[in-house]
Amino acid sequence: MKRLIVLAVALAALGLFLAGCGEEKAGEKVLKVGTMSPLTGPYAADGNDIRQGAEIAVEVFKEAGGIEGFTNIEVIPQDTACDPKQAVAAANKLINDQVSAVVGAYCSSSTIPSSETLAEENIIMLTPASTSPKVTERGLPYMFRTCGRDDHQAPAAVKFMKEVEDVKTIFIVDDKTTYSQGLAEGVATAAKAVGIEVLEHDHVNQGDKDYSAVLTKVKSANPDLFYISLQNSATGALMVIQAKRMGIDAILMGQDAVYHPQLMEIAKSDSEGMYCTFGAIDKDAPKYKEFLSKYKEKTGNEPGAYSAYAFDSATAYLMAVKEAGTSDPAKVREALLKIDFTGASKQVKYQENGDSGSNYTVYKITDGKFVPYWNSLTGEKY
Amino acid sequence: MDFEFFFQQLINGITLGGVYALIALGYTMVYGIIQLINFAHGEFFAAGGYMGVILISYLSAQGLHPYACLGISLVLAMGYCALLAMAVEQLAYKPLRQASRLAALLSALGMSIFLQNGLMLTQGVYDKAYPTEITSGGVEWGLISVSYMQMFIVSLTVLLLLGLNLLVFKTRIGRAMRATSQDKVMSALVGINSNRIIAITFAIGAALAAAAGIMVGLYYGSVSYSMGFVPGIKAFAAAVLGGIGNITGALVGGLIIGMVEIFAAGYISGEYKDVFAFIILIGVLYFKPTGIMGENVDDTRV
Repeated sequence: MKRLIVLAVALAALGLFLAGCGEEKAGEKVLKVGTMSPLTGPYAADGNDIRQGAEIAVEVFKEAGGIEGFTNIEVIPQDTACDPKQAVAAANKLINDQVSAVVGAYCSSSTIPSSETLAEENIIMLTPASTSPKVTERGLPYMFRTCGRDDHQAPAAVKFMKEVEDVKTIFIVDDKTTYSQGLAEGVATAAKAVGIEVLEHDHVNQGDKDYSAVLTKVKSANPDLFYISLQNSATGALMVIQAKRMGIDAILMGQDAVYHPQLMEIAKSDSEGMYCTFGAIDKDAPKYKEFLSKYKEKTGNEPGAYSAYAFDSATAYLMAVKEAGTSDPAKVREALLKIDFTGASKQVKYQENGDSGSNYTVYKITDGKFVPYWNSLTGEKY
Repeated sequence: MDFEFFFQQLINGITLGGVYALIALGYTMVYGIIQLINFAHGEFFAAGGYMGVILISYLSAQGLHPYACLGISLVLAMGYCALLAMAVEQLAYKPLRQASRLAALLSALGMSIFLQNGLMLTQGVYDKAYPTEITSGGVEWGLISVSYMQMFIVSLTVLLLLGLNLLVFKTRIGRAMRATSQDKVMSALVGINSNRIIAITFAIGAALAAAAGIMVGLYYGSVSYSMGFVPGIKAFAAAVLGGIGNITGALVGGLIIGMVEIFAAGYISGEYKDVFAFIILIGVLYFKPTGIMGENVDDTRV
């Protein structure tokens, strides 16, 4: 009897699975957009923000009447877990699903290998979050980037330290990812160049929860500024809490991966006064307001750091397809390079190499919110 | 200055070691009694952390005093994890008791993945923040600072350990546990219900892990669904280091792993701390495979 029940359940589950396949009807043309981001693992928060951002862009397009020539627009999310192997597998899965473009990935270390796989099939990739310079420096024709670059972020942060805070000594900690370490090294180099002394550049491991040892070092080194380059806002929050508890009174500064509402949610008042570099977002812009209300309506959450970039990446692609009237990659690329629009995150204008320029701003956490504090392009306070 | 640096790291190390020791106890007890390495143990730690944040948030919303919230939540979360562990044991390990050890080990790994994903699906992928009003404050002497949270963790660890020792060496249940760990068949013949004793052992181990989960949540400010994995591995290393199956060994092993980690991070670099912790483990296994406290394994193991 027991076996029969188990068998019946297994068959029912199989039936459900089979019913899920074979939905596609012949003759219909569906525009398929894939997303690649870490939906599980330590970076799942940012990864889900990216997926939702892209989904909302598609929804906005559908509500506006869709794209001529296509019966539907579909989003196919894939999980990369910030792992290069899984990212390549996800890219292959999306190729099998016949997507014409991919929004993603999050970690530069998974964007770079998966973009090679996608490039073989001439699939357009627009990354909302990978800031490593290498992403657009390999000459891939279909690689685009909506966010900024690390080699712009590091000098912007150092310029702020020197000009605004008159910092003499800094202590740097990173967590050894391609992204965080690269950025931290960029900051160290830029700092030395302007005469700021780097007291120490230490590393922690991804997934650590206890930073007491390294923070004790920071405390005894007593730097003017403590630069936190971690790949995850939740671990960033842990470091901030522990730093405050240890009585470190240096200026705290983080970067774009730490920039996330989660930081204040976890660190609460301990994060007050901390600085973070992130692309400037004009929260009064109509496009941002439209995005924000849609995002809240659909997800019930505040948008995360990269939601707006993902929204803009998907929007730019859909606009280009509409403009070109086809999903043919060469024609869409041409249209993408012509596009110039005010998105939710920034003015989106792709350059020949796929970059769209950086506009890093220093934000200061005030009353539990990221408040724009200093503009790296103009060198002025807001 | 150097002395202060050393002393501060010593305090950090004891705190971290205390947490590892509490988790290691569960590994060691379960191994001692049924020779099973319960890889799902780290997940009880995570589940305890989550239960703690849910209960503390709920109780403080009712206007209870923070310490009362903490106390009640601690007890309830420990009870919850004890029940969870007993259920897991019934479902995943008991049917395999006569099967090969490998089957039980794989079942444990599967359970670990299942529980972790269950936490992710029910609690979401975002970290959950603990209320901070309980945890702020501390004492400072010059450069050295000890937070109340660190004192709380260390004293609760000591208290729970003393309680466990009393239970194992001074009560009937404890005697039954020790007997079962020595010989299941013979102890069953003299009237000990070994299934019940095994269930109790799982429950106690998981309750201790839950307490560790809450303390870690409070100490570090947040919990995440994947938080059980790394401390689980470290605690396992601590249990092996101390001599798996040995309660005092788990404590000593936990403290050693915690100290080595903190001192490696403090004097060498943060990126090498895990390397050193595991080098010590390999060294001990090489020269003394039974672990540090491994000699009198027969009469003290549970």
